[in-house]
Amino acid sequence: MPKCTINGQEVEVKAGATIMDAFYQLGMKEKIAHYCYHPSLSIAGVCRLCMVEIEGNPRLQIACNTVVTEGMKVDNNSAKVNEAVKWGMDFHLINHPLDCPICDQAGECGLQDQYMAYGKYEPEMAERKVKKRKVVDLGPRVVLDSERCVLCSRCVRFTEEVTKTNELGIFNRGDRSEIGTFEDRPLDNHYSVNTVDICPVGALTSKDFRFRQRVWLLKNAESICTGCSTGCNVNVFFNKEGVFRLKPLYNEKVNGYWMCDTGRDTYKPINRDARLLDARLSFGGDKAQAKVEYMIPLMGAKKAAEWVREAKAANNAKSVALVLTGQYSSEEYESIVSTFKADVGTDQIFHWVNNPESFESFDGLLFRGDRNPNTKGLLQTLQKHGVMDNTWKDLVAGLESGTIQTLVVAGPLDFSVFPDLQEKLALFAKAKRLVWLSSGKSELVDASSITTVQIPMRTHVEKHGTYVNHSGIAQSVKPALSVVAKAMTLSEVADVIAGRNVKREEASSPIGKRAQNEFTTQRGAL
Amino acid sequence: MSLVHRQRAKDKWYLPGIFSGMGLTFRKMVKNLFNREQMPTLNYPEQKFDYSPRFKGNHVLTVKKDGSLRCTACMLCATNCPAECIRITAAEHEDPTVEKYPIAYEIDILRCVFCGFCEEACPVDAIRMGPEWQTPGVNGSEFVYDIRHLAFRPQLKGGIVSVVDEQERHKAGI
Amino acid sequence: MESKILSEHYDNPEFRGLAGYKRLGGYEMLAKALKMDRQKIIDEVKASGLRGRGGAGFPTGVKWGFLPNNGEPRYLLCNADESEPGTFKDRKMIERAPHQLIEGMIISAFALGVHKSYVYMRGEYVGPGKILRQAIDEAYAAGLLGKNILGSGYDLDLDLYMGAGAYICGEETGMISSLEGLKGQPKLKPPFPAVQGYLRKPTIVNNVETLAAVVTIIRDGAAGYRKYGTEKSAGTKLFSVSGNINKPGTYEVPLGYPLKDFIENECGGLKPGRKLKAVVPGGSSAPVLTVDEANRATLDYESLASLGSMLGSGAIIVIDDSNCMVDVLSTITHFYWHESCGQCTPCREGTGWLHKIVDSIIHGQGNPGDVDLLVKVADQMKGRTICALSDAAALPVISFVTKFRDEFEFFIKEGRSKVTGKGPTHAQMHH
Repeated sequence: MPKCTINGQEVEVKAGATIMDAFYQLGMKEKIAHYCYHPSLSIAGVCRLCMVEIEGNPRLQIACNTVVTEGMKVDNNSAKVNEAVKWGMDFHLINHPLDCPICDQAGECGLQDQYMAYGKYEPEMAERKVKKRKVVDLGPRVVLDSERCVLCSRCVRFTEEVTKTNELGIFNRGDRSEIGTFEDRPLDNHYSVNTVDICPVGALTSKDFRFRQRVWLLKNAESICTGCSTGCNVNVFFNKEGVFRLKPLYNEKVNGYWMCDTGRDTYKPINRDARLLDARLSFGGDKAQAKVEYMIPLMGAKKAAEWVREAKAANNAKSVALVLTGQYSSEEYESIVSTFKADVGTDQIFHWVNNPESFESFDGLLFRGDRNPNTKGLLQTLQKHGVMDNTWKDLVAGLESGTIQTLVVAGPLDFSVFPDLQEKLALFAKAKRLVWLSSGKSELVDASSITTVQIPMRTHVEKHGTYVNHSGIAQSVKPALSVVAKAMTLSEVADVIAGRNVKREEASSPIGKRAQNEFTTQRGAL
Repeated sequence: MSLVHRQRAKDKWYLPGIFSGMGLTFRKMVKNLFNREQMPTLNYPEQKFDYSPRFKGNHVLTVKKDGSLRCTACMLCATNCPAECIRITAAEHEDPTVEKYPIAYEIDILRCVFCGFCEEACPVDAIRMGPEWQTPGVNGSEFVYDIRHLAFRPQLKGGIVSVVDEQERHKAGI
Repeated sequence: MESKILSEHYDNPEFRGLAGYKRLGGYEMLAKALKMDRQKIIDEVKASGLRGRGGAGFPTGVKWGFLPNNGEPRYLLCNADESEPGTFKDRKMIERAPHQLIEGMIISAFALGVHKSYVYMRGEYVGPGKILRQAIDEAYAAGLLGKNILGSGYDLDLDLYMGAGAYICGEETGMISSLEGLKGQPKLKPPFPAVQGYLRKPTIVNNVETLAAVVTIIRDGAAGYRKYGTEKSAGTKLFSVSGNINKPGTYEVPLGYPLKDFIENECGGLKPGRKLKAVVPGGSSAPVLTVDEANRATLDYESLASLGSMLGSGAIIVIDDSNCMVDVLSTITHFYWHESCGQCTPCREGTGWLHKIVDSIIHGQGNPGDVDLLVKVADQMKGRTICALSDAAALPVISFVTKFRDEFEFFIKEGRSKVTGKGPTHAQMHH
């Protein structure tokens, strides 16, 4: 375990660790300029910005490829280092188009950051810049701007080492070098947008996020991805207009630095366009005469409670059944399952498996066939309450024989992962009354042929909750924003059904305005 | 610190105050009646005041020679706007050299405080503040200016150049 | 005086074939070496003071000593990617004496315990490639390569690999990348090739001349080899001479030979009426020497290093007073701009920048600050990159601009050459 001193701070690192590792270990990664180094990729050593001065060594060394030796004294603040980094910046910038105003990376760009830290000089380059390709379509999700590229090769190493698909390469040489794909082999792997994340500049941009917002107009909050049972940690980027993108957040045990492309789309059902805004009571029947009542969600829940009470009054609590999907948090399951067991007095609780044929599949990196964030948590709750033995066949039999009349379905929060929705709705229509809990609006449910109350639910970014991923890691999330403030959680619905006082979960800062315009109050600091 | 008001005799008897006030009014009335040239007020709206061409009134979006907007939808104006009255929707342009352009650019002129920060923030000289200052409207929606109004309003007058050419700018040393 | 140790029979056409080579004493040293102890050969090479002839001048024996003894397969690669402008000695060696190289490689491979060896040859060397290919086939047919060489029980496979003509593949790790089938660009060091080289196995890379010299060391012994040259720069070396000289070509002289004598005697001096202006002593990447420095220089590693230049691969480019130094530098900067692999930023962008500045000067569009800017940019490229190409591009710029500053300033000010008087219209257009 060699010890070294970094900018006067002593640190003990693992044997074989590099100076860059030591910087990361000290939490000083912001203090050292680097583009090509990425902790989970191999070392390329090409950007030449992580220059450090090592005592006793006349030449500056790169931190990313220099192994720490006992007693090493490292300084990256000396005049010599600053001069080298300043010139390193200049070399990066001489052929950079400086089109920050239209570049999506502006605001989170490595070049901007390092320029503010080391640059601030008058450019001396008077010659013409090298022209390269702009707006190159690399694949279904990624666009390349070669002129902005600093050729750090992170994306190339990503496709080489992480996805092992090798779509990207550096073509040509010298200052004519460009990132590119081979003919007929677009960058279409399932993790392609990670290349956009690791791109330190605006060379690779995501088609989905491209030009939709400037990053400084977005806030971010930590959450998890609900696209599958891996539960990747993500940063949710949002503003008053809704959520704009998800970016992976480092978690060694769950997802490392990456997330899949499918997971990136899981923000879409959160946004207002896709959401159910009010409770909706419909009575089925002919479309022309269909009568629909809209009400606030709490009243919708009260309607459901009324139906349950009616069943109980008729001494037929067993005619009420609960169908659960793996989309909710463990706390909600606990609350609703115990309510149904204890207060309603039914053990007719069923697990809706949305895609049984590919449920167990796994792509070897992150993406799993079980497209629910909390199947494990649901199963744990069911086991705890001893209702594991109920099979889907029992539900079908109950519905067909007419013993199940009132159905409470904790339905999808993300319809895209429920390919069997129509088929299941046809089955549910065999009951008399349907309580449909979901965050999203769906024409299929709207067209339900039986008396149906739809109650808007909160999504995972709008509530507290614990999600247990495939390997049993429980992850708690905090609410990040509120899109439909009136929407309820499963626990609240359970409270209403049980007739308890509803403990409304405090809606987090509703997506409103910025508290103040920080960009004008901090004028000059920008 | 506290102020103590002592009533003076002049304040106690109201009439002297009233008469001195009336006196001023009449004096000015008589003066203006016989010397109308030097009267500082205007008969608005028949008469209008000529502001300097540098007056910063309503916004103008400048256009290139081919008639397309100069704006690249960088949103620096919207970011810089203290009144948060600018709203831009960007889109991908067919031409890769243009790349990004606004498909919607709206200024809520009722919120605008005419500070000129948008003009200052613009890296491409796409927004300027013109000398127009009469901005009537019959309902609220007329005060949200869109691209059609900002760049192509027919009654745009007062010397502001709405067509800005890149080469001319370079020649002028901008 | 020329001392033809290596090149003794180069003018004899028989020497090129296996039969002739054998008749003139070839492969005798191989038979001798195969009976020697491996360590003895390495010690002999160490004692001879042989230094790498490819450019860096690193002691060969010491390099060989870096190979770890871990039982992994190891490789010996011969660097015949001779791309430094001005260098053509390896080409001559391969054309005239391919078997000399093969013999040297077998001896070296035997000493290092290598069983697989490659010659990496520059893509443009089609002719020499054919000659070497033929020689290798001959050697295989004669049992000099392959299994059980000369009945000694030692096996060696030797193969020829033709590059695609990139300068950077002459850098040892760049060459290894290319040989592995990757894009030819240098690898990050450490690990060094001796530890993890070709296919991540211990690898020794030597120049053609270095390997050929091993034969003479076995023949004459370390002491015999040390009879030539100086204490620190032992032996003889082949020099490729080009430029404004009467007899350009390849000459073998002992190291430590005065440069002035070499130009005047061996190379036949300059054209009548011309005066020496500058000499580039070690290929285009070596800093240029002024007449004064050239007169003091001797052809060995130390003397040239003390003058701020280097022996490099021994490519001497003679420049007489009819040449405009701006023009010469523009050719050099263009070359490095064209050949930079583009991996490290300072080199990728710096070579382009230098090239563009010199180009704009030569097109009459230079700015007064350009001379200082050239030095500043070049200074910041030195020692900042993975391989030495960045230094190779920066060093000539610094030396040209500082030693012939007046010519550059004249060109910027007047828009025409101080020497030839030619304006931008006559300048070569490089794009």
